[in-house]
Amino acid sequence: MLNYSLRRMMAVIPTLFILIVICFFLMRLAPGGPFTSERPLPPAVMKNVLERYGLDEPLYVQLWTYIKNILFHFDFGPSFSQKDRTVNDLIAQGFPVTLTYGFFSAVFVLVLGIPLGVVAALRHNSFWDYVMTGLAIFSQIFPNFVLAPIMVLLFTLSWGLLPGGGWNGGQWPYVIMPAVALGTSYMASVARLTRGSLLETLSAPYIRTARAKGLPERTVLWRHALKPSLLPVISYMGPVFVYMITGSVFIDVFFSTGGIGQNFIDAAYTRDYSVILGLAILYSVLTFALTLMVDLVYAWIDPKVRSGLK
Amino acid sequence: MLSVQDLSIRFRTPDGYVHAVNDVSFDIAAGQKLAIVGESGSGKSQIALSILGLLAKNAETRGRILFENQNLLDMPTSRINKVRSKEISIIFQDPMSSLNPYMTVERQLNEVLELHEGLRGRAARARVLEALDAVQIPDAKNRLKSYPHEFSGGMRQRIVIAMALLCRPKLILADEPTTALDVTVQAQIMRLLDDIQKEYGSSIMLITHDLGVVAGFCEETLVLYGGRVMERAETRAIFNAPSHPYTRGLLRAVPNIHAQDARLQSIPGQPPNQLHPPEGCPFADRCSDSRDPCFNNLPPLDAGRHQRACLRPVEELS
Repeated sequence: MLNYSLRRMMAVIPTLFILIVICFFLMRLAPGGPFTSERPLPPAVMKNVLERYGLDEPLYVQLWTYIKNILFHFDFGPSFSQKDRTVNDLIAQGFPVTLTYGFFSAVFVLVLGIPLGVVAALRHNSFWDYVMTGLAIFSQIFPNFVLAPIMVLLFTLSWGLLPGGGWNGGQWPYVIMPAVALGTSYMASVARLTRGSLLETLSAPYIRTARAKGLPERTVLWRHALKPSLLPVISYMGPVFVYMITGSVFIDVFFSTGGIGQNFIDAAYTRDYSVILGLAILYSVLTFALTLMVDLVYAWIDPKVRSGLK
Repeated sequence: MLSVQDLSIRFRTPDGYVHAVNDVSFDIAAGQKLAIVGESGSGKSQIALSILGLLAKNAETRGRILFENQNLLDMPTSRINKVRSKEISIIFQDPMSSLNPYMTVERQLNEVLELHEGLRGRAARARVLEALDAVQIPDAKNRLKSYPHEFSGGMRQRIVIAMALLCRPKLILADEPTTALDVTVQAQIMRLLDDIQKEYGSSIMLITHDLGVVAGFCEETLVLYGGRVMERAETRAIFNAPSHPYTRGLLRAVPNIHAQDARLQSIPGQPPNQLHPPEGCPFADRCSDSRDPCFNNLPPLDAGRHQRACLRPVEELS
């Protein structure tokens, strides 16, 4: 298992390299640059600025300098649009924010979604099943940009229970609404996934065997049915979790949380090459890590996968 | 010990009731081996499931299943749970899917002992090993932590049998225990069941569609068709003097190594539609001996040692 994990981590390095190269050139293919504006800078100033950021060098030299700085100094370069701030600064400032509400959002998704799905499956085709399924569909058709304003309308403007935005160091009243707004539709998906997969498991012959042993239904569910039913939920949650902790652009903008989702948008508008690249790398590394984690959890649950890893 | 009396099982479906089992009665004495033979859809597996209360949720039952003078059909789940695996255990057809793929073999076996006898740890392990040895799993001690997919089909069915033996139940229901296995493995498993029955003294109810499997194994055979008992007698009598046209048809469909003519005979036609069961004998429209009365009158089952449900006298059958 350890061997396998190490092998997978080694494979990240070439993938990451290719990714950096592609992103690097793609960005420069886009028209304009970080310092183009409606009123062009005087040529002399422009020359100075480009020299200052190393943009006057040939592209391959720029790429090499960029990779060298990451490798030897863990330096992702200066931001081109925000003076005196580095990409490292921006990530250090914004990432903890999105990580916090993203994490709580994921907790919300799992803690609510899985039990809802289990209840719906156990009460299959009954009143409660229809209530859960209705609720799930309802929250799935409510995208966060509809849900968030409604929540603010109710919880902030009408009832004055929660602050309508800001971060304030991540105190819990400020975390709740971003986390719930971000997670609701995923929670619904998790509930539906859990329901479907548990229903399928419960009709498996080995569940009938478990019942024939005389085990009470509770034990059949917890010991025999739940673990295999959660496999699809786990593979679904891997990429969703990455998306959540890297921040939703909408949530960051709407609730002014100051997370890195906001940086993504700003950087794209201002052609802030280094910030876009830095965030893309962060996103990929997290995706690699989460995918590996999902695979390891799979191996932990499913002995067939485990023996395939050896 | 087990007495099934006028058992009927029907399933509620959107199209109406499906009558899977109709007025079936039989007894199994302690230490006895009874075979229930029938083609697929004859209701034979449903009988086994109903004994342990494992029928699908849309099933409705009538009649009684007395086990040591208690009606299993009336028992709430909490009480029937104490019978399952402890007094009556079941061996399912497909060993590939009837073991939990996510649990070690030991865990799947010792949870039975933990539940019914409160055994854990070393005591449970000793019993598990004893059962695995009884079904001749080689090197059982080192395979306790293995998962089902690490065993072959025949070995898995041995594990399932070991699981059924753990609490030395009084009755073992074997629901087509060899159907999913290779022919050579089939013979081994049947011999194993036979040995175990002798050693443990449990009664066995063997469900199969294969009369060849029954031949050397069960003292008594019950032939089921369309959810009804067609014929019931000592196995020897069923083979030597079958008295029901359906049984005769079944026997002609068993390959015979001595026959020169290698062509197997089959019974033409389809099993009856259980959604609208025929008024008369369920076998009438496939039967070469049927006469008009057969289509309108349900033949009663004779009393006595050799029972048959047929309106035609034995002497007049083709």
